[in-house]
Amino acid sequence: MDLLNTNPDNLSTLLSWLTFLPLIGMCVVLLLPASNLRAIKITAGVFTFIPLVLATQMYFGTFDKTVSGYQMVQHFEWIKALGINYSVGVDGLSMPLLWLTTILFFIAVPASETVPRLSKAYFVLLLLLELGVLGVFVSLDFFLFYVYWEIMLLPMYFLIGIWGGPQREYAAIKFFLYTLAGSVLMLIAVIALRLDAGTFSIPELVAIGKAGGFTGPALLGMSFTTWVFWFLFVAFAIKIPAFPFHTWLPDAHVQAPTPISVILAGILLKLGGYGLLRGCFPIVPDAFQDFAYVLGILGVIAIVYGAYVALGQSDFKKMVAYSSVSHMGFVLLGMAALTEWGMNGAALQMFTHGISSAACFLVVGVVYDRAHHRDLNGFGGLAQPMPRYWAMATIAFFASLGLPGMAGFVSEALTMVGAFQSQVGWTDEAIASGWMWGPFQWLTLIATIGIVMTAAYILWALQRVFLGTLNEKYADFKDISAREVFSLAPLLVLCIVLGIFPWYILDWMEVSISDLMQILTFAG
Amino acid sequence: MFALQDLHLHGLSLLSPELTLVATALVILMMDLIWKERDSWRLGAIGIVGLGAAALQLIGAHGTQDTAFALVAIDNFGGFFKLFTCASTVVCIAFVMLDRRERRHRIGEYYFLLVSAAIGIFFMVSTYNLLLLVLGLELASLASYSLAGFHKGEKRSAEASMKYVVFGGLSAGVMVFGISLLYAATGTLDLRVMSGALAVDPIGEGVARSLAIALEQSPGMIALAMILILGGFSYKISAAPFHFWAPDVYEGSPTPVTTFLAVASKAGGFGALMRFFGVLFVAPDVGELVAAYRHEIGMVLALVAALTMTLGNLAALRQTSIKRMLAYSSVAHAGYVLVGIAAMTQTGMEASMFYLAAYYFMNLGAFGFLLYFSGVTGRETLESLRGMGPKAPMITVPMVIFLVSLTGIPPMVGFTGKLQLLYAAMSPAEGMQLGWLAVCLGLNSVISLYYYMRVVRTLFLEESDAPKPAPQLPMAVFLVVMAFLTVWYGLFFSPLLSWAKSSMDLLT
Repeated sequence: MDLLNTNPDNLSTLLSWLTFLPLIGMCVVLLLPASNLRAIKITAGVFTFIPLVLATQMYFGTFDKTVSGYQMVQHFEWIKALGINYSVGVDGLSMPLLWLTTILFFIAVPASETVPRLSKAYFVLLLLLELGVLGVFVSLDFFLFYVYWEIMLLPMYFLIGIWGGPQREYAAIKFFLYTLAGSVLMLIAVIALRLDAGTFSIPELVAIGKAGGFTGPALLGMSFTTWVFWFLFVAFAIKIPAFPFHTWLPDAHVQAPTPISVILAGILLKLGGYGLLRGCFPIVPDAFQDFAYVLGILGVIAIVYGAYVALGQSDFKKMVAYSSVSHMGFVLLGMAALTEWGMNGAALQMFTHGISSAACFLVVGVVYDRAHHRDLNGFGGLAQPMPRYWAMATIAFFASLGLPGMAGFVSEALTMVGAFQSQVGWTDEAIASGWMWGPFQWLTLIATIGIVMTAAYILWALQRVFLGTLNEKYADFKDISAREVFSLAPLLVLCIVLGIFPWYILDWMEVSISDLMQILTFAG
Repeated sequence: MFALQDLHLHGLSLLSPELTLVATALVILMMDLIWKERDSWRLGAIGIVGLGAAALQLIGAHGTQDTAFALVAIDNFGGFFKLFTCASTVVCIAFVMLDRRERRHRIGEYYFLLVSAAIGIFFMVSTYNLLLLVLGLELASLASYSLAGFHKGEKRSAEASMKYVVFGGLSAGVMVFGISLLYAATGTLDLRVMSGALAVDPIGEGVARSLAIALEQSPGMIALAMILILGGFSYKISAAPFHFWAPDVYEGSPTPVTTFLAVASKAGGFGALMRFFGVLFVAPDVGELVAAYRHEIGMVLALVAALTMTLGNLAALRQTSIKRMLAYSSVAHAGYVLVGIAAMTQTGMEASMFYLAAYYFMNLGAFGFLLYFSGVTGRETLESLRGMGPKAPMITVPMVIFLVSLTGIPPMVGFTGKLQLLYAAMSPAEGMQLGWLAVCLGLNSVISLYYYMRVVRTLFLEESDAPKPAPQLPMAVFLVVMAFLTVWYGLFFSPLLSWAKSSMDLLT
């Protein structure tokens, strides 16, 4: 069976171009003299802009959203002895995230203007990071996936560790250690799958997983699919980050410079959710269904606990960081519900949180660059000197809050409805009768507390920063500059457009999500 | 009479790489007396040319299956380790030539001893006869003892040498005792006779028994012998619990010697160990009893591997001297390599050989970095590297690549090595379960990340106003080349893999 659909019409080198353009850009930057920072910035801008154009063209042109399976596939042998292939392609799950990646990296370049000690190495690492992220989204071979997954670590370590805040060294190594711990578990699971199924190819593994064809050995007292599931889940949960693996995130966010926070919240966290949908759920669907309630519980803990902790923060950036933990909980909850609405909600939430959290971090960056602190209680009345900034900040935070008409609302509503419909944990009679309170109905109810708290911390933060009496020290603050608007505006436009026309993402994902739902083995 | 002479000539021709090295060593010694230069690069050049010639002969002999004088086996397996030894000894000699501080000493003897140690390793890895194995091991050790103490005036170096002699002597004794027990039980010193591959002992006269029979008659004696012999090997590869000498000796020895001990000498130990356990237990058709015994040996090796990597990594976490940290890291890596052997399969052994090849690139690179910086700053502490990263990028960026590779992160060759080892651990010999060892190996990589990244942090994340280090072009070129190969073989590791596979002709 040709799972990759390698007929000539479907083959394309476009994805490889997209992935390796940042690498070419990196090499060009390396050749430029370090003293000519302007040329380096322009080069970085160009080499993040071309992928953006390419990805936009793919999104609206080349990509056929009505077709099931992978598109623009490229496939050849890489290391024959171990059956490792270079195999790339996109489907409705990866295409929107690929587009998001190129958007955010392009925005990150002008946003880097105010990073202190900015140098050539910064842009080299930024482009290398983009290579890793794009690679993960296009990989259809688990080995390739893993290699790209790990390529991201080192650039990120340096970007936080060299250009970050006062505690940057601690934050950078913590990020690295957490992610690597997850990665080695993933690697062991991937090797186990390879040994058992004889392939690294994700489509083939999915086909075998769907047929329940894994027969590998037990480990640590768990059956094969169970431990493979847990190993993969922990690897991806650390990246999401799901409670209780989330503690690296606030540190990394607070210490990272603004553009890196934007990328971290906007894309790197999505890799965890994407990994679950691409590499965990379809490959070990039975174990995923068995433990869906655990995932749901972790998701709701993240929603409520993240929002609760965000409420208590006085550091503006830390508050946004915890809001990320809270919002990513929806991704987990939506997936765990195992309903079509829930999956759609989770996948959409990844995109919408990608733009709204990126916008929020940019907003925080704007005020930090002027005041050089982020103490929520130290501001006040900033709406007076900076009215345009206030307006844009309000849009960003309302989108994050999930106000109807904004992007975040659609995805969170879909997730909540999906979770409420979930039949996980229902008895057979209940399924027959069609109505019962199960674990997920309770979880949905609890999650609403998180939504209320989200509204509270966001409104309270906006109030403390922008309303009230103006702090005299800040009376002469300049309003948001053209460069800052340039970074922020596209995201805000997307926040509103996707709030009104969410099908610009949902339609792209529809076929792939319904393919995923076919894997489910239980009734409903 | 003629037949005998033919036999000798044939045997000698098979030993041409060894003979080349012996000639090289003697020429170095002689020219040292003739030239009488304290600071001679010519002697080093002779050593490099000699080792290169031996390496070329080894490459030419690839595929030969023969036995010289009924003692020295000529096969691809030995060839792998001999080539490895040549390649690493060349680098060690180059290190001596690059390091100005080393050249104060009696340089001719330095090169002579390095080449002699290489000769010892040559014999150690290419014999089925335990007596010759011990002789080769002793030759390599004796040369290493003197090398460790080469900085005669320095207390540290003298201490290193002394410790090395005491530990080495003790473990050699332990090993020889184990071998004598094995001899008593089987009546032969030839591994192939023990394994049943040969019916008649090629040099012995007594009544030889195979290990299978010996196991039936005196299992306790065999068990004791195996443990003692493993102890002797553990010393050579610095595996727990015989690793205590390693940090002190590595730290006290001159850096090129440390490099030799951590790379060439350790690989030689692995070669001998793999031949020993491979022929006796891993080879197919060893018989039911031995096959059952294989699991026990595998479990012992797995425990030693787990203990070695964990102790090495935990101790490395606390080091403030880079040299000592690299010493503990090399102990941990010995544990990693053992994982492949503990799997008791052919693929496992191939994985171990692959990992050694990967280890060659990244560890030689790391030691080259150490040599450069201790030469520039005169110190070997982590502190002395503070903020050096951006000041000498040609030296420090390769170091980052080596450290990332040592951690086992793609796309570096160290990652592909670990991948093979995990493979091996997860598909061990039938009836064995080493999944826990795979998890242990994975978690150890995470521990090691912390101390490797501490070097990166000191280099790049911290700042200092120390002056820019003086550039040293040959070292920069060497490091860049090694870093390139580390990445290149990480992405396209088929050549290394097929080399390791084709060298694993031991078990057929």
